[in-house]
Amino acid sequence: MQERRDTSFPQINQDLLRGVIKTPIWFWLVLGALGMVVLGGAGAMGYLFYVGLGLTGLNWPVMWGAFITTFVFWVGISHAGVMLSAILRLTHAEWRRPATRAAEVLTVFSLATAALFPIIHVGRPWRALYWIFPYDFARGIWPNIRSPLIWDPAAIFTYLTGSSLFVYIALLPDLAAARDHTTGWRHTLYSVISLGFRGTARQWRLQVMGGILLSALILPVFVSVHSIVSWDFGMTMAVSGWHVTIFAPYFVIGAVHSGVAAVVTLLALMRWVFGWQDYIRREHFDALGRLMLVVSTAWLYFFFMEFLFALYSGESAEIALREMQVFTPPWSYFFITFLLTAYFIPVPLWLFRGVRRSVPLMFLTSLSVNIGMWLERFLIFVPGLARKQVFTFDWYTYRPSAVEITIIAASFAVVALGVLLFSKFFPLVPIYDVKEGEVFSTRIEVGRRKVPAVVREE
Amino acid sequence: MALTRRQFLKVAATSTVGAVAFVACSTPQDEFLIQSPVKMPEDLVAGADNWYASVCRQCPAGCGTIVRVMEGRAKKIEGNPLHPINRGKLCARGQAGLQALYHPDRLRGPRRRVGERGSGQFEEISWDEGLSLLLSRLKELQGKGQADTLLMVTDPVDGHLALLVKRFLRAFGGQHLVYEPMEPTTLTTSLQRTFGQDLIPHFDLENTQFLLSFGADFLETWLSPVAYGVGYGQFRQGNRRRGTLVVVSPRFSTTAASADEWIPIKPGTEGVLALSLAYVILSQGLASPQVAQAMTGGAGVGALESFRPEAASTITGIPARDITRLARDFAQQRPSLAIGGGPAAAQSNGLFNLSAVFALNFLVESVGQRGGVLNNPSPAIPDVGPASYNSLADWVGLEERLRTGQPRPVNLLLTRNANPVYGLPSQFASALSRVPYIVSFSSFMDETTAKADLILPGHVYLEEWGNSVPNPGPGFETIGWQQPVVNPVGDTRSFPDVLLALAQGLGGETERALPWSTFRDMLWEGAKSLHQRGSVRAADFESFWIGLLQRGGWWDTTARGGQQTTKAPVLPREPRLPSFSGEGDFHLILFPSISLGDGRGAHLPWLQGTPDPLTTVAWQTWVEMNAQSAQKMGLQEGDVLAVESPVGVVEALLYLHPAIPPGVVAMPMGQGHDAYGRYAQGRGANPLSLISLPKDSDNGSLAWAATRVRIRKTGQRVKLAKLEGFVTPTQLPGTEIVPEAQVTR
Amino acid sequence: MSEEYKWGMVVDVDRCTGCQACVVACQVENNAPLSSEESFQRRRPMQWIRIERYWEGEYPHIKARFLPLLCQQCGNAPCEPVCPVYATYHNREGLNVQIYPRCIGTRFCANNCPYNARFFNWVEHQWPPVMANYLNPHVTVRPRGIMEKCTFCIHRLHRAQRQAKGEGRVLRDGEVQPACVQTCPTNALVFGNLKDPNSRVSSMVQDERHYRLLEELGTEPSVVYLKKVVPGGRAS
Ligand SMILES: Nc1nc2c(c(=O)[nH]1)N[C@H]1C(S)=C(S)[C@@H](COP(=O)(O)OP(=O)(O)OC[C@H]3O[C@@H](n4cnc5c(=O)[nH]c(N)nc54)[C@H](O)[C@@H]3O)O[C@H]1N2
Ligand SMILES: Nc1nc2c(c(=O)[nH]1)N[C@H]1C(S)=C(S)[C@@H](COP(=O)(O)OP(=O)(O)OC[C@H]3O[C@@H](n4cnc5c(=O)[nH]c(N)nc54)[C@H](O)[C@@H]3O)O[C@H]1N2
Ligand code: SF4
Ligand code: SF4
Ligand code: SF4
Ligand code: SF4
Ligand code: SF4
Ligand SMILES: [Mo]
Repeated sequence: MQERRDTSFPQINQDLLRGVIKTPIWFWLVLGALGMVVLGGAGAMGYLFYVGLGLTGLNWPVMWGAFITTFVFWVGISHAGVMLSAILRLTHAEWRRPATRAAEVLTVFSLATAALFPIIHVGRPWRALYWIFPYDFARGIWPNIRSPLIWDPAAIFTYLTGSSLFVYIALLPDLAAARDHTTGWRHTLYSVISLGFRGTARQWRLQVMGGILLSALILPVFVSVHSIVSWDFGMTMAVSGWHVTIFAPYFVIGAVHSGVAAVVTLLALMRWVFGWQDYIRREHFDALGRLMLVVSTAWLYFFFMEFLFALYSGESAEIALREMQVFTPPWSYFFITFLLTAYFIPVPLWLFRGVRRSVPLMFLTSLSVNIGMWLERFLIFVPGLARKQVFTFDWYTYRPSAVEITIIAASFAVVALGVLLFSKFFPLVPIYDVKEGEVFSTRIEVGRRKVPAVVREE
Repeated sequence: MALTRRQFLKVAATSTVGAVAFVACSTPQDEFLIQSPVKMPEDLVAGADNWYASVCRQCPAGCGTIVRVMEGRAKKIEGNPLHPINRGKLCARGQAGLQALYHPDRLRGPRRRVGERGSGQFEEISWDEGLSLLLSRLKELQGKGQADTLLMVTDPVDGHLALLVKRFLRAFGGQHLVYEPMEPTTLTTSLQRTFGQDLIPHFDLENTQFLLSFGADFLETWLSPVAYGVGYGQFRQGNRRRGTLVVVSPRFSTTAASADEWIPIKPGTEGVLALSLAYVILSQGLASPQVAQAMTGGAGVGALESFRPEAASTITGIPARDITRLARDFAQQRPSLAIGGGPAAAQSNGLFNLSAVFALNFLVESVGQRGGVLNNPSPAIPDVGPASYNSLADWVGLEERLRTGQPRPVNLLLTRNANPVYGLPSQFASALSRVPYIVSFSSFMDETTAKADLILPGHVYLEEWGNSVPNPGPGFETIGWQQPVVNPVGDTRSFPDVLLALAQGLGGETERALPWSTFRDMLWEGAKSLHQRGSVRAADFESFWIGLLQRGGWWDTTARGGQQTTKAPVLPREPRLPSFSGEGDFHLILFPSISLGDGRGAHLPWLQGTPDPLTTVAWQTWVEMNAQSAQKMGLQEGDVLAVESPVGVVEALLYLHPAIPPGVVAMPMGQGHDAYGRYAQGRGANPLSLISLPKDSDNGSLAWAATRVRIRKTGQRVKLAKLEGFVTPTQLPGTEIVPEAQVTR
Repeated sequence: MSEEYKWGMVVDVDRCTGCQACVVACQVENNAPLSSEESFQRRRPMQWIRIERYWEGEYPHIKARFLPLLCQQCGNAPCEPVCPVYATYHNREGLNVQIYPRCIGTRFCANNCPYNARFFNWVEHQWPPVMANYLNPHVTVRPRGIMEKCTFCIHRLHRAQRQAKGEGRVLRDGEVQPACVQTCPTNALVFGNLKDPNSRVSSMVQDERHYRLLEELGTEPSVVYLKKVVPGGRAS
């Protein structure tokens, strides 16, 4: 069942291409503001490269900090897109249609942003190529495939390639539509990148099949990416707080939790900004809310398991680590904040249908989840290092520096800027998909009202 | 075998050095180049290292060194394995000597003051100019019959340099004062009185079974720390039963940390404890009757009635049963050895304390015995002895002389590597400023040199000749031989060479007293009396001299100290209690930093960056305060505390110390310099400025552990620069990182 | 693996007095950067060997324990497999070696070193020009952005081995010592060849007091500790 007005195809085109065709003043303002933040971040990064990692708050032994946290955070966000698209597409979930594009685009930009962080974080970024490209093979020296840091870029770049293709294939019909609605250089541009898509039956079939195939192929990659990211930590035997077998599923489910929340945030923004009330509807938020209820609770289960295993071991170093997380300020404050914002405030609210169907409330709760999920990673990584092993003499703490915070803030602007610019050139809601939904829908009478209902051909 | 390129690459590539070198082929220009090809002296082979034996002068202990020199630059100082004092080992300060040699703020050539005195404005002059300026001053004094108004202030000088200074002043006139803030005069006086020896004896802790230290921090800075460190290692795990160390001290020192038992004691009551131990030993019949008779003046244990453990307990704060137990252990686990120093000596009753402590060795018959107190022989070369010291009383006398001009004024002050302006209370600094002309031969712009009118900078020890007569020696005749290991880095001259040049310039009696053109010549001639015996054997003197330099010294293990001649002392019948200055709630104990010493090491960044072993603080001055009592006062680590004594206030950072007694605070010496180079200047505080002059000390030495202070919070807070982390490090339950073993071996 | 050599060290905690001579000696020998006040405040000092001090008990029955800690040259070194670029690897003589030019500074190895024995160059280190004269030409000066740690003074080992090889023999026990061992006044540190059954270390590692740090992790350290002895204390 879909709760919306009837819309004609030309109306859909006009609505959904609005962002592409018109450039209102706020666009420039937001673009400028985000651009400033990104420039600030780029400046901070340049300064960091020039002076070195001394500018961070990292120390001995807390050698990984906010950059790695943010890396994992963005990888996590990137999990929503493909998960939503692929799973919902494969399961023919009808309500997915307006949400997929935004989710996929978020995947691509957050993943690309995430990939920046390991490079920013290494001591000699100018030699980071060495890491993934075996340019020293003349000496018989290849990258060390035993290192999770080799698996990591492999997984991320596979995922990035896959999800970019995914976006592109789903974009083709809309690019064609854009081509047909534009003139001048834009027309030329869309002509080229729409790869001659004319909407013939064969083209449609290929496009749909490509989408389904990619969906099926990318799901294992999606599961593997965050598993592998978790092994950056899980394989670290020396950090007892990290050396946990449960990390892979725990990280994947956490990624989905934060990712879906990020999609909700984005959808709410799109609905407000582009006036897409007819396309991004309360039912979508309702459905996403229900999904998040399940995902977040599964995530909480893993979180408690991880904690339980640690305490169950009864090892004094493990217990000291948990003590730091739960009882030592400021970590204890972070801990409480993270539990409240990532679970105990939003999830009970989502139990109420009225909340799930309130766009402002969903917007706020989804933001809250992501604040909590950033803190969650911070609380996993940093205390683990700060309480590494039993050498209490070495135990320390960590606080990110201004440079780190600036760069991290800029990463949010980078993602936002990416999505914004994307919306300038491509429709953020898949037009053809919406139309397809329209075709499949019929109207049924409910009382005195005629509402659209959906039938699917099998 | 001809090595082909392929073979070479194979060999090199399989080694790490090879791997590093290969990759280094692609090292960009901006990465550091270690060595630049400079003009190479002809006798040096590029890439080959030479080792020169010499002597460490970072403290007066006189350890032997070997210095690695490559391409004319000194690269590493190691201990000389042949040298009987340190047997191949060095302490942190000895290791850091290279930074004095290659210090960026060394005085690189002669200078003459142009601005106000103390303004730091100097102009560079030539040596000829500088020497003639000084010579004309000296001649002027001579001409006016005021030669006796010359004053020379030096660091402790020994060997031929001491002889040279003595002869110079005897011929020319004038007074010599040795500046050493940690002056061991209380120690040497008490040793003299107890053992009848001018030289410090050899404490044979290597072979002792029970070692009892009253504040003598022999593992840190006391007398000859490396020698004692080597001995201590053997004492612990040599091929015999493991020795037991008990430290009695008002502060938990690094030495106390290594002890099997630390007994905190009320400051200044060490002598009472020692005599109480004597009481127990005598009353329980643990000493031989003859000794008991001798040491009580025939009166028997009754003479020591006022030191019954119960009575001593109230004075010292140590439970009576612990005193009894300690006395029994000390008397029964022979050979046992009692030593004292540090805060036990730096009291108004320091001489009483140390005399009582050292007397214990007679009680257990350790004097002259293996594992006990062994006499050192008099110097191998007559007149060429160890350094002598002046006590604070001499400085008080000087201050009065400078202030009043009576009996004679001081018209010319020559100073060399001594820094009284830093280390002595401020009235000395202002008194010294009255001297019309000050000439400094120091290598660094320290606080005293900054007041000079003429600076004729000396070499640092790695650039100059010398010899050393260690005090304490190893129990037999020993002279360390110091040779320059590199050419001078700057336009400096060796102080003894300058004195010889002055003597020649002065002519007359002074020239006749010092008929050598260089100090090396003097040493050469001095060494002749060593030829034909001892560790270096050679047919002709030339070869002997080379052998002497190669070995870094000369020693004769057969020429040992004589038998004990002095009889066991009669123990005092009444306690002498300490008196303190100041009314504060806390007793202040100063201690020389293990790395900076009394402040002499503060200019070297290696030493500044060496964490204190217990607090792990570096670069700063801290106040050690009992963690619990400080927290009760609402204090936190890093709080800037004002420490107030009757004569001064200094500010330092709080360190929450779990092991210091609640009523005691402790501060390290060494920081708080106004000058002395970029690494020392303007950093930390000098706690010596809290110490007032002694009032009733027996021999007028500085009682730097006899001040009570008030502690005030200033409200500021500075992060401590320390190695330890965020929590108080302890071993977690169930873990074994510093486990204990109960092994009797 | 090398037939002749496997390097090891014995640290006798009962001898160590915490005097820091080894710490300074290592810095001198290995061109360690000057550890500034700020480096301590920000907890980034460079001490390939450091003296950890643990408190035990409460005043007045309190003890301090000194633990000299350096790279344990693990036989099964966890720092090695995690390095993506093989900048840290195992050599034939059982040493964990670090190749500075290859290191890109991920710091993963440091995370995976249970002994916190690895130190990162957070900043570009500088020496005043005159001071650079003492730098050891046999040891690389490390630029910023890379990892470093105790090497067992490998440059000394190599020089001595080359010399011995030229003379057609293997190294004699005690012929070569790392800087820390050489200077340690109390002889708390002993270095030698574990493959040589007659070496001092080979006999010392059999001492009843021997233990290894975090042995349960399976890192197989080449540094063996001897326990502090406590007369009448608790046995362990
Ligand atoms: N422009 C210019 N050219 C020069 C010179 C110059 O100064 N300037 N110098 C000349 C001189 S003196 C020389 S010696 C040559 C040097 O020239 P090359 O012999 O080419 O030396 P490299 O390229 O440094 O290293 C040789 C090979 O060893 C490999 N290698 C390094 N480490 C390992 C390892 O661990 N395992 C394996 N299997 N291989 C390894 C490298 O990958 C490389 O292929 O260059 C000569 N050419
Ligand atoms: N950091 C680092 N160190 C290295 C290397 C590296 O890659 N990095 N490479 C190593 C290698 S492979 C090598 S071969 C060496 C090279 O190191 P060196 O042997 O020092 O070689 P060069 O510096 O090229 O030249 C030596 C000198 O020979 C002089 N010379 C040139 N022609 C003549 C002549 O006809 N007669 C005489 N008498 N002198 C002449 C030159 O002017 C120069 O001063 O360096 C080694 N050291
Ligand atoms: S004890 Fe003194 S003489 Fe010996 S190495 Fe240390 S500083 Fe040098
Ligand atoms: S030099 Fe020896 S005694 Fe001193 S701290 Fe190092 S290991 Fe301990
Ligand atoms: S101690 Fe640490 S750095 Fe050394 S080999 Fe073991 S894991 Fe690697
Ligand atoms: S910091 Fe260097 S040595 Fe360590 S893992 Fe990264 S690249 Fe390898
Ligand atoms: S073995 Fe060498 S590199 Fe390692 S701590 Fe000792 S001196 Fe330093
Ligand atoms: Mo070469």
